[in-house]
Amino acid sequence: MKKYLLYIACLLGTLVSCKKNLNEQPQGVLASDQLNTPVNVDKMVTAAYSSLGNENLHTSNSLWPWGSMRSGDAYKGGDGVGDNSEWNDYETFVTNQNTNSLTDQMWAQIYNGIARVNNALLRVNTISPADYPLKTSRQGEMRFLRANYYFMGKILWNRIPYIDENVPTTDYIKKSNVELTSDQLWAKITEDFRFAANNLPATQSDKGRPNKYTALAYLAKTLLYQAYTQDDNHNVTGIDQAKLNQVVSLCDSVINYSGYALAGDFGDNFLAATENGPESVFAIQYSKNDGTQFGRIDMGHSLTYPMNPEYGCCWQHIPSQDLVNNFKTDANGLPMFTGYNDVDATKVSDFLSQTFDPRLDHTVGIPGHPFKYVPTFVYQTSWARASAIYGFFTSMKDDAAANDPSFQKIPPFMSSSKNWELIRFADVLLWKAEALIELNRPLEALPLINMVRQRAGNSTARLKQADGSFISNYKVGTYQPGVNCVWTQDFARQAMRRERRLEFAMEGNRFFDLVRWGIADTYLNTYFASESTKRTYLKTAKFTKGRDEYLPIPLNQINYSKGLYKQNPGF
Amino acid sequence: MKQILTIMLFFFCTGLYAQQKTVIGTVTDKDLGKPLVGVTVKAGQATVITDVNGKFSVNAALNSQITFSYVGMQPYTYVVKDVQNPVVIVMEYLSGNLNEVVVTGYQSQKKADLTGAVSVVKMTDIKDIPQGNATKALQGRIPGVFITTNGSPEGGATVRIRGIGTLNNNDPLYVIDGVPTTRGLEEINQADIESMQVLKDASSATIYGSRAANGVIIVTTKKGKKGINRIDVNASTSLQYYNSKLSMLNTQQHGEAYFKASVNDETDPNNNQIYQFDWNKDFANPVLNQVILPEFIDGAKTMKPANTNWFDEIGQTSLLQNYNVAFSNGGEKNNSFFSVSYYDNKGIVKETHTKKVTLRLNSDYSFFNGRLKVGENLNTSFINDRLIDVNGVLFGALVQNPIVPVYTVTGGWGGPAAGMTDRQNPVRLIQDNKQNQSYFGRITGNAYADLAIIQGLHFKTTFGVDYDGLYERTLRKSYVSGFLVDPSNLTANSQNFDGNLIWQNQLTYDLDLKKSKFNFLAGQESIHYMNQNFFGSRQGYAVEDINYAYLDAGSTNILNGGNGGAYSLLSYFGKANYTYDNKYIASITVRRDGSSRFGQDNRYGTFPSASLGWRLSEESFIKKLNFISDLKLRYGYGETGNQTAGNYATYSLYSAIYGTDPTFTADRGTAYDITGAGTGTLPSGFVKIQEGNNSLKWEGTKESNFGIDFGLFDQKITGSVDYFVKKTSNILITPGYLAVIGEGGTRTFNGASMQNKGFEALLNYEGQISKDLNFSVSANIATFRNKVTFLPSEVLTAYPGNGSTQTIVGHSINSIFGYVADGLFTSQQQVDNSPAQPGKGLGRIKYKDLNGDNKIDDNDRTYISNGNPDFTYGLNFNLSYKDFDMSLFFQGVHGIQVYNTYKTYTDFSSIWPGTNWGTRTLNAWSPTNTSSNIPALTLVDRNNENRTSTYYLENGSYLKLRNIQIGYNLRNALSSIKVQRARVFIQANNLFTVKSKSYTATDPENPGGAYPIPAITTIGLDLSF
Repeated sequence: MKKYLLYIACLLGTLVSCKKNLNEQPQGVLASDQLNTPVNVDKMVTAAYSSLGNENLHTSNSLWPWGSMRSGDAYKGGDGVGDNSEWNDYETFVTNQNTNSLTDQMWAQIYNGIARVNNALLRVNTISPADYPLKTSRQGEMRFLRANYYFMGKILWNRIPYIDENVPTTDYIKKSNVELTSDQLWAKITEDFRFAANNLPATQSDKGRPNKYTALAYLAKTLLYQAYTQDDNHNVTGIDQAKLNQVVSLCDSVINYSGYALAGDFGDNFLAATENGPESVFAIQYSKNDGTQFGRIDMGHSLTYPMNPEYGCCWQHIPSQDLVNNFKTDANGLPMFTGYNDVDATKVSDFLSQTFDPRLDHTVGIPGHPFKYVPTFVYQTSWARASAIYGFFTSMKDDAAANDPSFQKIPPFMSSSKNWELIRFADVLLWKAEALIELNRPLEALPLINMVRQRAGNSTARLKQADGSFISNYKVGTYQPGVNCVWTQDFARQAMRRERRLEFAMEGNRFFDLVRWGIADTYLNTYFASESTKRTYLKTAKFTKGRDEYLPIPLNQINYSKGLYKQNPGF
Repeated sequence: MKQILTIMLFFFCTGLYAQQKTVIGTVTDKDLGKPLVGVTVKAGQATVITDVNGKFSVNAALNSQITFSYVGMQPYTYVVKDVQNPVVIVMEYLSGNLNEVVVTGYQSQKKADLTGAVSVVKMTDIKDIPQGNATKALQGRIPGVFITTNGSPEGGATVRIRGIGTLNNNDPLYVIDGVPTTRGLEEINQADIESMQVLKDASSATIYGSRAANGVIIVTTKKGKKGINRIDVNASTSLQYYNSKLSMLNTQQHGEAYFKASVNDETDPNNNQIYQFDWNKDFANPVLNQVILPEFIDGAKTMKPANTNWFDEIGQTSLLQNYNVAFSNGGEKNNSFFSVSYYDNKGIVKETHTKKVTLRLNSDYSFFNGRLKVGENLNTSFINDRLIDVNGVLFGALVQNPIVPVYTVTGGWGGPAAGMTDRQNPVRLIQDNKQNQSYFGRITGNAYADLAIIQGLHFKTTFGVDYDGLYERTLRKSYVSGFLVDPSNLTANSQNFDGNLIWQNQLTYDLDLKKSKFNFLAGQESIHYMNQNFFGSRQGYAVEDINYAYLDAGSTNILNGGNGGAYSLLSYFGKANYTYDNKYIASITVRRDGSSRFGQDNRYGTFPSASLGWRLSEESFIKKLNFISDLKLRYGYGETGNQTAGNYATYSLYSAIYGTDPTFTADRGTAYDITGAGTGTLPSGFVKIQEGNNSLKWEGTKESNFGIDFGLFDQKITGSVDYFVKKTSNILITPGYLAVIGEGGTRTFNGASMQNKGFEALLNYEGQISKDLNFSVSANIATFRNKVTFLPSEVLTAYPGNGSTQTIVGHSINSIFGYVADGLFTSQQQVDNSPAQPGKGLGRIKYKDLNGDNKIDDNDRTYISNGNPDFTYGLNFNLSYKDFDMSLFFQGVHGIQVYNTYKTYTDFSSIWPGTNWGTRTLNAWSPTNTSSNIPALTLVDRNNENRTSTYYLENGSYLKLRNIQIGYNLRNALSSIKVQRARVFIQANNLFTVKSKSYTATDPENPGGAYPIPAITTIGLDLSF
């Protein structure tokens, strides 16, 4: 009996000593300190870049859902207003609330990018240059990337928490979105771009990395935004002349020394075959057949393709009738500043019976017009989706032709590995023009605007029907003071603003331009009054001044911050 | 035929003239196999009683009947045959009997001695119900066990014991022949189950400490028993009917509804790509003359307008078959039980199909005069499923336009055309995927040795293995279906392997000191779980045939991946039971569990419990009251635990994620085309995936249970009532987090608390009208109230509420938060005088201004439903008359507000204008149809009527006739052949449903689009030789 008990005690004793069995080695993962080798640090830098392409269907880093769909350039599209109703809330403003899940998603996406940068930067900062010869350049790249994300956050929300690599994670919760004033936030962004400009090489062999001039260009853009001073209710109170002067000189550096130039054809900017061309100052690099199932493609534009069998979903981001009418040109080939909306251009004959800026057929898919430069691939009314609600147009800059090697299906969606331009050289020209006009040097701005127009006028080679004839009746003229216009500051401003619209239509900039200029409320409410006679769903749309210039801080983030974050005015 | 009759007659006569024979044998009870003393044995005129060893000897004529009777047990009839003595008679306790033995975790107890809330399942009630999953058949039968199912042939069920205890997984722990598992019972053969017990409260479940917080379901499978040598055969065939199809518009109706919606909007109805309308062009008084259909609906002219009823196209009446053979053999020194089953369920959605084969071998061997018992329980399951995306198919059937034909004129797939939304042809989804299958195998087994060291002291060691593997190979075919086209194909191949190794050691000691009885249990258990998986896929298959589509045959886009994980548990436990004079009962349990998932200092959790029972009926003052045959008060308190955290939640980790599937959620990858090459292998890095929490510890549940068991009139009426209060704290949560932290901010911690209170009652009546006519009625009712009692502020937004002033704290975790729909605007005056509501108008939904600020916005939301029923109930009738038996089982849920998601499609033309809509839209509100509560038709939902609101809430109460069964035992008719039992039966499941009129879809049990629950009719046969 005792013997048995002893055996059992021994047995149980052996098992007790198995306590170490409760240690389980994590499988297939790494701890942070395993990543501080030079090779791994550089990989962390790559991971930070990678976040540029980590977009969701709804959160394009091109910002089109905020920059173009809220600007009068585009409707939401899709299958009625309930399809992605969060976007309908953006587009019509009245029902946009702090619970809009896409606002929260985009916020998180931007800060995911910032966190990756800070994580990499902290490692780069601590490694010795001897071990890591690229240290300085990589620091510049990371700070450039961080400034890019903060710029996006700044124009979307105005007041956002600022966190750099020196803030310990435990202190993140102490960083309020109103800790820095709007100007201090701009200063942080410009500081990063300045550091990048001072530390980046003039050229980079990897096309995805920014160089000195990329940083200078982005710095110019940031200073231009900052130059328009705003009060707490988003009223533009003045334009900082000193900053405008900096914008001019920064743009000059880029224009004179970077080697960037306008692409020969406007369409080069929207085709995979000509990506990373002379006009590409900074672009998101997408790829396919790269070891992932569908490629690291441009998911941010995956809902924008039409409904024909070659594509099949989802016909969102639809050019407005107002935008199409704006491409009309007058007898001098200049944009029409009045009367363009008197008669809508919709049918094939409408585009032949009056003159248009060729950028129309680079930007807008129109029934009866070849789609994406393929003469035999003609956009049809049947390619549209809820046409009773949104008409029949479709967007084109975001899409790739179905036979293009960059095109990729990702059922039930599709997109392409075509790069997306965040800054192209035309932007630099028009920023400089804008700064000059606001400095009341409109004449110096004239050649810049005309350069852009000239190139537009020359960009018709791809715009042909199968029979070789032009798709629309194109006519583009340059501004010739005293001949076809009176080039005052006011006129120049109007011309520059229209030029930006035509040049960058559907590219995700427009709404931010309107807010920068302080005209978002009057501009958009005028647009709603006119457009809602054609699109009845816009009848409830209304832009509320002092509120809708920026998105609400997501309720989730206010709650997670335990009330530290302060809501934007009006929400 | 005549010959056969003659032969039968001959056998019969032989019997009549047979000579007397002395039958000797032993009577044992079924549960424990122990000898029964004092059983009355009647053979003709002779009556004897079994002795202290359960033995008897009686004279009887060959082929005559010997009857055995014993209080509280099923009478047993033995037909004297010319076989060798001795015989073993096994008697079974009537349910509700106090001597019934209940398995309570590492040991068994008499029901009379139970102090916790333990429910015993009457396996006979569910025996022949062909659900392929024993838990499914239990729906409504055990108070406090809330089971939800769907109609999928795979047979999954969701089991919730006593409400919702945690924010994590609420599934109970299953213990099958001592092997704990979190997998449900769909993978074992229902017919193999000997008994099932549900440990509902913490005082009884604590013995399984870790993971017992959601309750424990203990399953014991059949074993060979001494003296039993039998073959059981069960066979049944069922037809399943799809009787819950939603009423959707046909082509003509859809056109009319579209017209109505368009003219309501005052937009030209002909400005669409599907229909043309011949109408009077007067928006003030629109008159539709004719809906004109195009010759073809697509530009390529391949699809003629059809009038497809998609539900009819995807549904079918289907066949379900169930076969089972069990061989049971008991001897002096070894027993064995062997069974084989085959289950074949074709679902009511075409081509869905599950095949399941199980094999079981349970055997035991005795040595050294029974002091050492060695045995094993072994189960293997093989399940073969068709991998059809049933959700997609059902959704397609709901929303696909009726004008779309199933096939094109050339036999290709029909599909959406211009003006329609991008939804798949559900028939294509079925046909293009029917070749895709999964193969699942599982081996569960344990081997044990039980040594009686001295009288009453046993040492038992058990080593268990529970491993399963899942293999899938799927071919995604290229297709053209309307404007939905995918020219690529893909083969994906994956394998998952996971399971547990379990080692248990236990010592039990029974001590019997006249009035005081003790039993002690001490034990130790270690569990190691691991899982590993990998997948591969390729594209570019020359032939789209599953016989060809192996990875090797693919040529492009070669991908693979895999990962794994593991955890360990180490536990010690002890239990002492004490009974004094059969009156006072006490039980104490302590379990200490260690889990690898928790921080170094918090790995171990201690889970104690104590319970008391007082058998009032043993007191003399109650004994005087003759009508009370049993009365017991019970109280128990216990603590249980939960370890539902990630395996490595204590560590901060980075992962080399190259890229993830970006289809619906953002890519989380680290690869980037930094060189601008546009293709080829990309440079990549690492990304943080989680923040560790080294102070992570066990989630704990504390539960008090008050119970009363009673029996009246010699146990004719029996019942029990339980009341419980269950509080869970330190609930493990992995909440969202402040976004500035970036990826990998996910951190698991112990944070929330929740409370459930409820009561359960069960009442049985066993009646006898005449010797041959017996009946029983059993009813149960259960209810619980759940509320979240604490949540850290950063988590609040993840649950219904606004995260600040209105939070889930104080509400049920199933609560729905939304607007209150206050009918429709029926006059312009109402529209003008109501609070500001963007999009308001005639015929639109009016929302209530709850905060009275004269505008409708996010601040006007409130908790509109707690998501739980007021109570659930079941009602069972059994009737037997001679060889006939009949049973009826009703199950119901009362007082639940369900969110009818179908309404988005059945009531609105505006939320998804490009899909089909329900026939309810034909009765939408209009100035001439003012009594309707369905919003006016429109194509533009300016009023955001898709918002969560009470418009979608409906009374989901129902009462279902779950099962009706009629059987006839042919035993007597077939007495001449050596059959002990030959029962034929017919039965039906879900024959009818009583539901609220206000529920507008078809099946309130299924308000969210899950696999429809079929009605089933079955014919079957049970034979025992």
